[in-house]
Amino acid sequence: MTENPFPLDRDDLLKAYRIMRTIREFEERLHIDFAKGDIPGFVHLYAGEEASAAGIMMHLKDNDRIASTHRGHGHCIAKGVDVHEMMAEIYGRSTGACRGKGGSMHIADLSKGMMGANGILGAGAPLACGAALAAKVRGDGGVGISFVGDGASNQGMFLESLNLAAVWNLPAIFVVENNGYAESTARDWAVAVDSYIDRASGFGLPGVTVDGTDFFAVYEAAGEIIRRAREGGGPALLECNMVRFYGHFEGDAQTYRAKGEVEAIRASRDCIKIFAERVIEAGVISRAELEAIDKEVLDLIEDAVRAAKSAPLPAPAELLTDVYVAY
Amino acid sequence: MAPVVGIIANPVSARDIRRVVANAASLQITDRANIVLRVLAALRACGVTDVLMMPEKGGIRGHVERGVVRARAHGDTPYPAIHLVDMPVTGTVADTHRAAAAMRQAGVAAIVVLGGDGTHRAVVAHCGSIPIAGISTGTNNAFPEHREPTITGLATGLAVTGKVPAPVAFAANKRIDVCVNGGELREIALVDVALVTERYIGARALYRTENFRELFVTFADPEVIGMSAIAGLLEPVARDESGGLMVRLATPEQRQAGTCGTILHAPIAPGMITPVGVTDWRRMPAGVPFVPEIKAGSIALDGEREVSFSARDRVSLTLRDDAFRTVNVGGCMRFAAQNRLLAGAPAPLPATA
Ligand SMILES: Cc1ncc(C[n+]2csc(CCOP(=O)(O)OP(=O)(O)O)c2C)c(N)n1
Ligand SMILES: [Mg+2]
Repeated sequence: MTENPFPLDRDDLLKAYRIMRTIREFEERLHIDFAKGDIPGFVHLYAGEEASAAGIMMHLKDNDRIASTHRGHGHCIAKGVDVHEMMAEIYGRSTGACRGKGGSMHIADLSKGMMGANGILGAGAPLACGAALAAKVRGDGGVGISFVGDGASNQGMFLESLNLAAVWNLPAIFVVENNGYAESTARDWAVAVDSYIDRASGFGLPGVTVDGTDFFAVYEAAGEIIRRAREGGGPALLECNMVRFYGHFEGDAQTYRAKGEVEAIRASRDCIKIFAERVIEAGVISRAELEAIDKEVLDLIEDAVRAAKSAPLPAPAELLTDVYVAY
Repeated sequence: MAPVVGIIANPVSARDIRRVVANAASLQITDRANIVLRVLAALRACGVTDVLMMPEKGGIRGHVERGVVRARAHGDTPYPAIHLVDMPVTGTVADTHRAAAAMRQAGVAAIVVLGGDGTHRAVVAHCGSIPIAGISTGTNNAFPEHREPTITGLATGLAVTGKVPAPVAFAANKRIDVCVNGGELREIALVDVALVTERYIGARALYRTENFRELFVTFADPEVIGMSAIAGLLEPVARDESGGLMVRLATPEQRQAGTCGTILHAPIAPGMITPVGVTDWRRMPAGVPFVPEIKAGSIALDGEREVSFSARDRVSLTLRDDAFRTVNVGGCMRFAAQNRLLAGAPAPLPATA
């Protein structure tokens, strides 16, 4: 057996690959089904960004909580939310994670520590602070992680949360998923201090920038940041520079992107391809093993779509149930 | 025509994992822009009227522009005219490569570099014989000397305008050439090449000393941090002498068994003084190819994992003397003092009212 040069054992490498492949196939399938008109509402796809979700979530347990974004499918899958329930939710069926009333931007599963996708940009950051405060008070070693896009990081809520996390020394981690665009606005048009690390420094948090298309770069940096937070070292920011394969939302004509841009990033910056090449080249995992996972994932997605389509819609009588929490 | 000076300011150096695994500093974009303004003022004071800058989208340019506009509003002209290299901006190291090549083609007299060891390496790979003046805005900088950028700017200005003669103004530097599979891949390092067992690039920075195996340095300086410090604390080798040093580091098994000769407490990153097991070391003469013993792992250049290799790959390392030129800042400033270069006759005082 070849020596494993990676920081994860074989089982975890396979698990990471399975997470990324599941996210990719989930999104590729939605891309097709949305165009067919099968899906109500709005969807934002995470394809191309999988290494960020997987590289971070591989370090988390169910008592670690995350607050996601409007582009949340990848975070959900990586955090362990059931793929059948997610698909049913997006199809608006009563078997969905939120009984079909939330849709793509509200998928949540508290039992998995997934506090929800969020249609309000920046709104996940204070939620993550709350989760981090709870973990700190309980002393259970948990962390709260907020994902935020490059565009959403301009929201006041996000900046206030950096301050809150710093003054309370919370085990909170802010992940800026920088794909260079907020809808059609390029980052360098809209962000005054272009490095998110500078923003973190302004509030007294350390920050690290990594190539978000390199699973191992995300994994290594996230591991150190999360460990630091668990040990009481306080909040930190992780900037993942990444690429988005599809438009802002499904149906986006993407007239703001350069000709050939998407083809180029699919060819050279596909995080799953990069991961697969590395582990195969090192002789730790065989191509056949990865292909077997690919097939299982395709079957899973197919079955999730089939089950979703045959599940009932929520009944009109349930319109007002599960919408508000009673305290 | 007055000589043109190139400026390459990396907006993203000093952003890596050492901000959480060690207590490394992080230099803000506005600080980088202020450094550029200090350099510009110093160049102008020496008579440089034009600079050619690398465009970037990290935000440096906007802040520099602000400083220039404000000075103009005061009626001052403390800065040279800024021209930008006409090139696309990718936000990757390719920008630095392209800008350095363009500046070489444009015939600039020197290039001022703001960045870490990695940025300097990227410039040296493409600038040919054009001298560089380094300013440290990175993490583990062994290559650029730490000093106030205004002085680096003054020295560069004095050097390129010929006020300091070339033999004093410029210094020769060493480099290590890394060659994989007979030239399939060629890389360079300005300070150090480390061979480590991790076979993935990941977060790049070197901080897990138990994975270090072999180390090759162009100079070994006990006054810097990083890989050069390990060598420097064993046997100092100056920047201006021929050849470098190679050091073999102990495996965890060798350390456990106590067969590793020396345990060195080395400052390998800011605030990180870590025991490193050393088995032996020897001089690395210039021009002689060295083949590392480790069969698979990563090659770290100037402190960052860059290339992974396996038992199938053939790696060789060769140190070159006289590989590229730098502005000798200390030499220029001492020459300026001895020859009163910045001293002039006093202007008559304005008559008091
Ligand atoms: C408070 C708020 N303002 C505006 C919007 C509309 N909106 C939805 S997504 C988006 C762009 C988000 O960009 P970014 O944060 O970079 O995330 P990305 O879509 O690139 O993943 C905008 C403006 C919103 N949902 N919430
Ligand atoms: Mg974005």
